[in-house]
Amino acid sequence: MRWFSRKSRREEEIDRELRDHLDLEAEEQQEHGLSPDEARHAARRKFGNITYTKEEVRSTWGWTRWEFLLQDLRYALRSLGKNPGFAGTAILTLALGIGASTAVFTVIDSVLLRPLAYHESGRLVVAWEHVPWLSGGDSLGPNPRHVDIWQKRATAFDGLTLVQNSARGVTMDEDHPRLVGTVSCLPNLLEILEVRPLLGRGFQSGDGVAGRDNVAILTYSLWQSLFHVDPDAIGKTIRIEDTPVKVIGVLPASFQFPNANVLRPFSSSQPKSGVPEPAMLLPAVLNLSQMAWDGNYGNWIALGRLKPGVSLEEAETQLNSIQAQLMKETPVSGGPGSLRASVEPMQEAVVGDSRTGLLLLMGAVVILMLIACLNLANAQLGRALARQRDAAVRAALGAARGRLIWCALAENLILAGLGATVGLLFATAGLDLLRRYSPVNIPRLSEVHLNLTVFLFTVGLALIATVLSSVLPALRLLSTDAQECLQQNGTRAVGSRQGSRLRTSLIGLQVFGCTALLLVAGLFAKSLLYLFHQDKGFDPGHVAVAQAQLPSNLLREEQSRIAFIDSTLENLRAIPGVQAAGLVSAMPLEGESWIESVRRVDKPGQEGLLVNARWASPGYFEVTRQRLVAGRFFEERDRDLESVVLSEGSVKALWGTENPVGSQISLLGRTHTVIGVVADSQTTSLKTPPARIAYVHYHYRPPYTTFFLARSAGSARELLAGMRQAVWKSAPHATIARVKTLDAQLSDSLAIERFRTFVLTAFGVSALLLAMLGTYGVLSCSVAMRKQEIGVRIALGATRPRIYALTFAEVGGPVFIGLGAGLVSGALAGHVIENLLYGTEVVDPPVILAVIGLFLVSAAAAAFLPARRAAHVDPMVALRYE
Amino acid sequence: MPKQPSDRIELLQGTLDMLILRTLRLGPAHGHAIARHIQQSTDDVLQVEHGSLYPALHRLVKRGWITSKWEKAPDRNREHKYYRLTVAGKKQLAAEESKWRQMTRAIARVMWPAEQEP
Repeated sequence: MRWFSRKSRREEEIDRELRDHLDLEAEEQQEHGLSPDEARHAARRKFGNITYTKEEVRSTWGWTRWEFLLQDLRYALRSLGKNPGFAGTAILTLALGIGASTAVFTVIDSVLLRPLAYHESGRLVVAWEHVPWLSGGDSLGPNPRHVDIWQKRATAFDGLTLVQNSARGVTMDEDHPRLVGTVSCLPNLLEILEVRPLLGRGFQSGDGVAGRDNVAILTYSLWQSLFHVDPDAIGKTIRIEDTPVKVIGVLPASFQFPNANVLRPFSSSQPKSGVPEPAMLLPAVLNLSQMAWDGNYGNWIALGRLKPGVSLEEAETQLNSIQAQLMKETPVSGGPGSLRASVEPMQEAVVGDSRTGLLLLMGAVVILMLIACLNLANAQLGRALARQRDAAVRAALGAARGRLIWCALAENLILAGLGATVGLLFATAGLDLLRRYSPVNIPRLSEVHLNLTVFLFTVGLALIATVLSSVLPALRLLSTDAQECLQQNGTRAVGSRQGSRLRTSLIGLQVFGCTALLLVAGLFAKSLLYLFHQDKGFDPGHVAVAQAQLPSNLLREEQSRIAFIDSTLENLRAIPGVQAAGLVSAMPLEGESWIESVRRVDKPGQEGLLVNARWASPGYFEVTRQRLVAGRFFEERDRDLESVVLSEGSVKALWGTENPVGSQISLLGRTHTVIGVVADSQTTSLKTPPARIAYVHYHYRPPYTTFFLARSAGSARELLAGMRQAVWKSAPHATIARVKTLDAQLSDSLAIERFRTFVLTAFGVSALLLAMLGTYGVLSCSVAMRKQEIGVRIALGATRPRIYALTFAEVGGPVFIGLGAGLVSGALAGHVIENLLYGTEVVDPPVILAVIGLFLVSAAAAAFLPARRAAHVDPMVALRYE
Repeated sequence: MPKQPSDRIELLQGTLDMLILRTLRLGPAHGHAIARHIQQSTDDVLQVEHGSLYPALHRLVKRGWITSKWEKAPDRNREHKYYRLTVAGKKQLAAEESKWRQMTRAIARVMWPAEQEP
């Protein structure tokens, strides 16, 4: 506060100058023969009014402008202090609005706007292939053999590398393996990302050769948890699924890499739950010469760094011309131009999918913020109306317009400032909540932090809030005719009619926004309830599932896989309380996978049907309680038989209404006999119609990754530890990737829908609260102003109910209009989101009625207290009150 | 000889500015010296309350017509705040002088219409 010290210096200087003058004058008087005391008196008399002089000098220097500003701020603080209720609700309202906006903006800033945390990340790109016969127009991770050719022939890149996200079991000593996210990559990954290891070294070209590939680079956090930041970790050995691996380097703490859900080599695959963040780099061993030219798509992701000055289009054109060459030189199928490549910035690949959702969120939060500001504006208008006389007197006394406006702004500035501070706290808490409840694929969530940009954004919001909430009252202030105001008496303020109308129509606006939000939220909520409670065809209650994988030495042998499954199932059935246990080859509710073609043996001309192939054990259907339609489920004897169980839908497609039991089909390279038909169920996804599935006994080509399920008489959570034991008893070094209850898996599969509903409902409810606060405020003010009128009415015989009706009627109009408009716009919005809804119509009577009911109740509640106050006005007091 | 208070004529604010500027044309001076000079030159006819001098001085500083500086008095070991005329101040003084002359001429023509100024 430089002006402050300048001010005190000036003060001192003036004092000094005036004292000097008085001294000189006193000296002169003494020369005229006066005594020192008399001389001093004479000097002072001759001087005149010292204080007045000082003030005049001060005003010459224009300090008073600042002092006025401070004075008004202090006055604003005092008047807020006298109205703690109003101040409290205003600050809370602003805090909610600003806090929510800040939290969402932080996410948008950290996820969408900030460049990736690599050096010159604008040059980092992902290259995709497009193979129409496999995946239509979707992007696919390229065939590593093609990428090899790209590396050799393309000049647009500083370098190209391949990465593959995975998860492995890692052991330090003799403890059970823990699941660690890994990135298998070509040795040049760190070069391309321009990341230097904190300790040790990066990969060299020799590390990519089979036999010399047992090295790993750890991330900082893994190094922390395994080696406790011990610098001697370099050279030490850890075990990855029974293979000893040497640690050769540690990455800096700031290193981040997208996880398997964010960078998916098969873009139409479902995001999974429980995917770990990458914590380890492993060298990829690729035997290119043994790979097919026309396969291996969708397994690897090609990352590259463009040469400086090279554009995306150039790179893409180059790659496509190489693709054309490949089509001529190698046995790649499809007509000319059917093998294409595309290049996109790495940031786009990482955050592209989440953009719409985040922007939608931002839109919703901004609406909330605007409603909050409207509320504040309303409240301020009310106070301005009440203080109209005050303002008129000021204007009459000559207050400058600027000063009046500053007075109106000062209060709101303080409110906005405090609101923003509290809002920042809310935002921090909100971000914490977001990190815990966010759906699986908000990328870069770990990079979400409050920072300077966000802080400036918050300040900007506070200023906008101030302006928005001061504009209307300030305009009213300026338009008051001082003369008229002063002539009116007491509470019948000038223009109160217009003022009230303005305020009640603001209420109507809020109701409108609120209703629309709540309607959409209601539709999503109904959707969600439907998804949870629909008849799924299976029963997830009391069931736990564990994903396990044998270490690689045991994994190779079919017999050891079978033995592992057999023994684990036995162990599971031995757990007390377990009613049934079974095995399946894919995690329930994670989408369709392993698509195979099924053909009827007796109708060889008939087209094959694409089904999901699954390996199951006896007990699987009993655990999930799926319904048997015909025939039987798996039994022990099926391990030596070639049995298959088909889902109802597959049977309908192949046999129509005939009974298929006993017929034969060819699947997975051999003939199977249909032993049973299981009813359609939504074990692959709750959001799509039941998939076609064919189940074979695990004895034939036992699966590499196994999913054990067990049903307990008691709670499924108590089963989790037991399941781990059961697996490790059979194979102590098996990696257990996940253990969870089937209910939890169900929840997780609906994570996005839950998130959407939660957020919209939260916003809708907040908006409702705000609108109700606003209604309460408006009515309170109006009742206070109309006390005389109400007194007269009661004196003339109006009954209590009549007064209640009168008060309610004041806001009734806008509320109903707002409600109607809101319902209509909500229905329109519903059409836009139609494909996100399940099991509910866009115009859904129960939801609409619920929203209307909610509103009427809330409006009544908000209006009740002021109406009560009105009804209990003592006419004698009111009439005497001036 | 000090005159009675009733004999003194009140000064308009603008004219005080002009008098200060004129005084400073004779050389730099501190506030007390300026007051004394005006008082003595007009033989006490003009009532200049010392207090009203300072707002005028600071106003003139603010407008850039004079500057101020704390300096040591030439003969003593004491510091006073000395004011000086600036170039702009000189110009302003000339402008004020001519305005004053115009005003007095106009007033004189009203008061004593017969007498013509050459």
